[in-house]
Amino acid sequence: MSDTAIHIAQMQKFYGSFHVLKDINLDVARGEKIVICGPSGSGKSTLIRCINRLEEHQSGTIEVMGTALDDNVHHIDEIRREAGMVFQNFNLFPHMSVLDNCTLAPMLVRKTPRAEAEETAMRYLERVKIPDQARKYPGQLSGGQQQRVAIARALCMNPEIMLFDEPTSALDPEMIAEVLDVMVGLAQEGMTMVCVTHEMGFARQVADRVIFMADGQILEQAPPAEFFGAPRNERTRAFLGQVLGH
Amino acid sequence: MQELVPHTTAIRPSPFSSLRARYFSTPLNGAVTLVCATVALWLLWSAFDWAVLHAVFGTGQREACLAAEGACWSVVSSRWRIVLFGLYPFEEQWRSGLACLVMGAVIALSCAPWFWNARRLPLLWVTGFATFYLLMRGGFFGLPVVTEQNWGGLSLTLFIFAAVCILGMPLAICFALLRRSKLPWIARTMALVIDTIRSLPLLSIMFTFAIVLPFVLPGWLTGDKLYRVIVGYALFFACYQAEIIRGGIQALPAGQEEAAMALGLGYWHRVGYIVLPQAFKNALPPTINQVVITFKETSLVTIIGFFDVMASGRAASGTAEWNFAVIEIYVFVALIFFVFVFSLSRYGAYLERRLDVGRR
Repeated sequence: MSDTAIHIAQMQKFYGSFHVLKDINLDVARGEKIVICGPSGSGKSTLIRCINRLEEHQSGTIEVMGTALDDNVHHIDEIRREAGMVFQNFNLFPHMSVLDNCTLAPMLVRKTPRAEAEETAMRYLERVKIPDQARKYPGQLSGGQQQRVAIARALCMNPEIMLFDEPTSALDPEMIAEVLDVMVGLAQEGMTMVCVTHEMGFARQVADRVIFMADGQILEQAPPAEFFGAPRNERTRAFLGQVLGH
Repeated sequence: MQELVPHTTAIRPSPFSSLRARYFSTPLNGAVTLVCATVALWLLWSAFDWAVLHAVFGTGQREACLAAEGACWSVVSSRWRIVLFGLYPFEEQWRSGLACLVMGAVIALSCAPWFWNARRLPLLWVTGFATFYLLMRGGFFGLPVVTEQNWGGLSLTLFIFAAVCILGMPLAICFALLRRSKLPWIARTMALVIDTIRSLPLLSIMFTFAIVLPFVLPGWLTGDKLYRVIVGYALFFACYQAEIIRGGIQALPAGQEEAAMALGLGYWHRVGYIVLPQAFKNALPPTINQVVITFKETSLVTIIGFFDVMASGRAASGTAEWNFAVIEIYVFVALIFFVFVFSLSRYGAYLERRLDVGRR
């Protein structure tokens, strides 16, 4: 198997006539952690939503774990099984218990027997430190707890890659740390991660590469030391000044 | 103890003082209250006087009824079998009664949350409906066959209602999903069909299916008139219910389907496990409303010559012997409808409270 987890080349995306993503080229190696940052409206969320076809790109190539993302439904399903995703608004299924949220996809998609799926789910719920909430419903949990369940739910599918779309943006400040802790733990275990986030501390700590996007383009990418220490692009400097200034 | 009295009145006003505050706060308010109360009491008293004090009870009291000033409940106790069972053969009417009880039990059981999932609820309705049909139709275990032409009364009303729900609900789900199709021509065609059928009166749809369709369809497709009417009514029900379900689906945050997609769930899994359960939860109050309306509007089939509970009621008081007791029979039929519909709407209110608790 190749060392490339995600390969994106000359990818373009339009909303009608609006050019959202311009000539994106990005390779993510297996086990690599990427943090994508940039001002709002820069297309960073759209970019990672293109990776698992929540958004459709118009031209260029996207390959995930060697599978080309095209109009073939089987390829899309294959990629979605390999790439777990965590959303800004958690998107847990409110009519199911925490445990059922975690076992649904493994049972339906991977045809895992219930007992085994529940065992796996409990293991991941322990890992995100909320096994005692398994029988509760999402509405009974705090935001931080819900987001940790969402991470566990994605992990239950045993994905090769985890995509995070601003996972801490909808959280109260005191709950951000508990979610970031889980993410740092995941990174240390060698998970391939692509995170859209404004948590620059997290980027410094775990990222192998930080990417700065603006106006639908990748303007700068560098290891965190270099990215934060000596940003080359003027807009990167302006952005960092605003984010780190507070 | 003396000190306690003003203390408690300050916290909670006595029933008398709240009565005074609400109904007698000003002289005008007091006068309006008195007038309204008098009218209300007088109405209640007249109704009670008519329905109980001067009424005639017991079977076959025609002469007493003609002499009495009050209600003639004798017509109900003499002719109730016609209202409930229509033209169904007298010796076999226990079957019709049992069938009604089965259907009533099915309706009551489907109110229990335990039955609310995609397997149990359809199973309950299909089994209940099959039992109902076999009991009514007969032809096994030595039960003589009673064809649909001889069905009538409450059992026919329940039969039509149940058949329309069983046929219409899956159809409604299909319609709602098709109307949300990503292919524009499917979605638009479905929208056109739904809006067309919704803009036609139910009565004209029933007429078309009962009377016009046999001229158009080949003979083997025509079927019995009763079933054609049921199909037409189910189509009408499905179009309204489809819009209710679609509303329930649109109330879901977009993130729900996205999360299911990101987990790799296919279309049918998303629909069956994520979208529809939540959509039905959102759409429960209007769904119950639609079911209530459907139950009441079954009485429109009288117009095409079926003896549902309304028509049977008219038939019951239609003989020369009882033709003066029309009001009493209508009150009886109204009471039957009231029992079904009022319990359904009470149940709807209970559901709303329950779902509020669940949502938190």
